[in-house]
Amino acid sequence: MVRENRDAKMGKGIGFERIRRITGYLVGTMDKWNDAKRAEERDRVKHDMSKNA
Amino acid sequence: MIQSIIKRDGRVVLYEQGKIAKAILRSMEAAHEGDASDAARVANDVQLAIEEKCRNSVPQIEEIQDAVENQLMNHGFNESAKSYILYRANRTRAREANTSLMKTIDEITKVDARSSDMKRDNANIDGNTAMGSMLQIGSAGARSYNEAYLLRPEHAKAYRDGDIHIHDFDFYSLTTTCTQIDIQKLFKNGFSTGHGYVREPQGIQSYAALGAIALQANQNDQHGGQSIPNFDYGMAEGVKKTFHKIYCQKIAESVEDFLDEDNKYDSIVILVEKTERETGEMAQLKESDVFDHTVAAKISEEGGIPLDSAKHLVKRARVRAEKRTDRETFQAMEGFVHNLNTMHSRAGAQTPFSSINYGTDITPEGRMVIKNILLALDAGLGHGETCIFPIHIFKVKEGVNYNESDPNYDLFKLSCKVSAKRLFPNYVFLDSPFNLQYYVPGRPETEVATMGCRTRVMANVYDPEQQIANSRGNLSFTSINLPRLALESSGDEKVFYEKLDEMMELVAQQMLDRFEIQAQKHVYNYPFLMGQGIWLDSEKLGPFDEIRDVLKHGTLSLGFIGLAETLTALYGHHHGESQEMQDKGLAIMNHMREFCDNKSQQHKMNFTLLATPAEGLAGRFLRMDQKRYGKLNGVTDKEYYTNSFHIPVWYPVSVSDKIRLEAPYHALCNAGHISYVELDGDTTKNVEAFETVVRWMHDCQIGYGSINHPVDRDPICGYVGVIGDVCPRCGRKEGETIPHSKVADLQKLYPEMPAFQGVE
Repeated sequence: MVRENRDAKMGKGIGFERIRRITGYLVGTMDKWNDAKRAEERDRVKHDMSKNA
Repeated sequence: MIQSIIKRDGRVVLYEQGKIAKAILRSMEAAHEGDASDAARVANDVQLAIEEKCRNSVPQIEEIQDAVENQLMNHGFNESAKSYILYRANRTRAREANTSLMKTIDEITKVDARSSDMKRDNANIDGNTAMGSMLQIGSAGARSYNEAYLLRPEHAKAYRDGDIHIHDFDFYSLTTTCTQIDIQKLFKNGFSTGHGYVREPQGIQSYAALGAIALQANQNDQHGGQSIPNFDYGMAEGVKKTFHKIYCQKIAESVEDFLDEDNKYDSIVILVEKTERETGEMAQLKESDVFDHTVAAKISEEGGIPLDSAKHLVKRARVRAEKRTDRETFQAMEGFVHNLNTMHSRAGAQTPFSSINYGTDITPEGRMVIKNILLALDAGLGHGETCIFPIHIFKVKEGVNYNESDPNYDLFKLSCKVSAKRLFPNYVFLDSPFNLQYYVPGRPETEVATMGCRTRVMANVYDPEQQIANSRGNLSFTSINLPRLALESSGDEKVFYEKLDEMMELVAQQMLDRFEIQAQKHVYNYPFLMGQGIWLDSEKLGPFDEIRDVLKHGTLSLGFIGLAETLTALYGHHHGESQEMQDKGLAIMNHMREFCDNKSQQHKMNFTLLATPAEGLAGRFLRMDQKRYGKLNGVTDKEYYTNSFHIPVWYPVSVSDKIRLEAPYHALCNAGHISYVELDGDTTKNVEAFETVVRWMHDCQIGYGSINHPVDRDPICGYVGVIGDVCPRCGRKEGETIPHSKVADLQKLYPEMPAFQGVE
């Protein structure tokens, strides 16, 4: 069995899960998002913590 | 002589003059002019005209219909001609709807969801499964029917053209959006799900299980997400019962050990209940020396146990009962979260879209619930996965959990720690003036609560005595394509406002039309929502009553998208770029809110302004406008319109500025709002910064907010956190392999690691 074989490889073709907030709820994998919201998620910039108000 | 005609689909059928006369007579009747003999005369002239025109060829149906229009007018039946033209146009609309419906169903049936944007319109439905596809086909059919038969022509046109978006259009004739389910009220005396009766639950495990079932049952009566506004207060009742039971059990076990006898449980229950009657106190988490000593005295007396031993024994029983109740509560909360992530509703195609609100119950039982639901969220699912549902909402309130000296401050801190890892809870701020105005200490139903992505219900012009969150919700909402109005105004502010007024009137009328359909439903149409008294005042109705009046506790919400693009189209830049534009943005929002308030007064119904979630809409409006106007800088040059009043996601701005700029819109969008900020890096390593952001939100008077940060997971080694190109734990890249031996070694180091499918 594979289990016995310490040299067997695992993970082929398996990606990372990336959980993001879509509108107010979360979606487990990005491939369920529609094209527009995917583009929006890609464009999101990080906001810095400086207090410059 | 005409023998036959050609139908639209190319079939040749026998010509019958009688059929034409009949259609003409119908038009005449609709217009209240002419009679059967007039109709026959017109039909005769139609035949003559066709014979003249077609000579030896076979006429098309369209040619005959043209001739009918002409002859009706020739004979002076102008009103009948109009009614015939309208009838023809309607038939065409229905036919076209049919054709596009078949195309849509074809796509749902044959195309993989990964390459069909339409099938990913709602990320919560898996368009590749049988039930998911069935749901989408039903939805497509309903849309087609609703558009062809239920909308006024001007509303259908505005919807089709993308001036407005009627949300949950497939449910137009069927139901309403959402409700805040008051579980305290629901559990009292038990309830029926519509499929069976459930007794009043007797412990935290059954409270939690039934809480999930309630969300699921209501999900089948409405089309939106469902929410519990008082999760801590409601579940606390279950903790109380569990503690009571275990307290008696533990004392019974100790007494049994001490006396070396069996079956003491029943007599201890009687003894404890007697003590409760005598002392007026309860066997509860809150420790009472008087109570415990009275119980000990009775045990000593009845069982012949020395008083000191009896006291010690009760004391130890209390400690054990508290520990065990805590553990059972955790298990119940864990089960609740697991249930909501695995159970299905709506023909099995969706996990119930659910929200729970908590944070303000300061009783020991409520605190135990809050702590454990947070710990269950923190633990994640079976393999440590982040839970997608329910949406957790932590209610922040000064004097309760915001300041260091507040009784639930420790739980607020814990919520920050958990949210820094799991993206939930989100935060709702009870101190913001537009929420605080309804808050009455000691009445949890006056605490604002959120459901779904952002929906909020508080004010009530229909019944000002009941301005509460519980047992109410949204009836329907329709959004305006705000950037389109700006683009059509060519930079003229006055024209923009005129167009906006016109569009808001159209939307208000459309929502009232929809309400008319909803209002004519009966209690029996909603066996759980109305039949079990979930909805406010529905408990006063019988099964055959119309729901019109009680529905008026709900809201009709006018939504919008793309304030940033609207400002750019009108004035050249958006509200993140200058104070001037912030003022312009607020002026537009104030104007829209005033419109809603006026409509509310006029109809004594709750019209509210919504910062629409716009999951599918962001792309739909944009694509239509790009086709119309091309790619305009800062307006239509992306693939989406910016959500509601948000500063554009691509625009660099600091956390504090984003919060400060968006907060005033929360006060105006009384149907719901949310702001989020994007933090960089692993927030679990900097919970203090996370808490600072939540506090800024509170101090800037945000209504509802959350903090986004990357949450990634490698399903091979189970690592949860930020993963760039390479997994920091096992060192593999996406799609790459690692030797099994390495996984086995990591498994020893991190026991919570998943067993990889296919290997074990």
